[in-house]
Amino acid sequence: MIEGVFFYSALVVMIGAFLALLRVFFGPSVPDRVVGVDTLNTLVVAGMVLLGAAYDRTIYIDIAIVYALLSYIGTLAIAKYLQGGLR
Amino acid sequence: MNFESFFGIIQVFVAIGLVVSAAAAIRFKNLIAAVLAMAVFSLILSLEFYVLQAPDVAIAEAGVGACLTTAMYLLAIKNTTDEEVIE
Repeated sequence: MIEGVFFYSALVVMIGAFLALLRVFFGPSVPDRVVGVDTLNTLVVAGMVLLGAAYDRTIYIDIAIVYALLSYIGTLAIAKYLQGGLR
Repeated sequence: MNFESFFGIIQVFVAIGLVVSAAAAIRFKNLIAAVLAMAVFSLILSLEFYVLQAPDVAIAEAGVGACLTTAMYLLAIKNTTDEEVIE
């Protein structure tokens, strides 16, 4: 049963994303939280790909592609603000 | 593990993440940390739409929440002060 394998691996990725969420919640400074959010974005993209394989739908991979692009832009905006260059 | 129990476990993880990130977005005093928590909330809400098999809503939520809202709030925070005005 190949879909059960993808369900288990998606669950493991979700547990890792939950630990990254704890870093965002308890982080003492803002750059810690930015790194936590970036880790959470990457783990959720990985979870979305695994869930697309588990649901056996090809169209669900496109959402992971869109989110991988947009999370990069969001992290870049926050990094430019912290650097002081956001106009 | 059958599909229903896996679905329930994923729903519990997503619900805990939603509540934690929403409480963080309200309670954080640092405005950049609050914007980060709001980006995390939008990310987990997009994952919830994905799990509930609504891919077009997930794409719209990811685009608005990760990119537009974060950049607009950062521009607004950049152009204002983050201290309360005491009359």
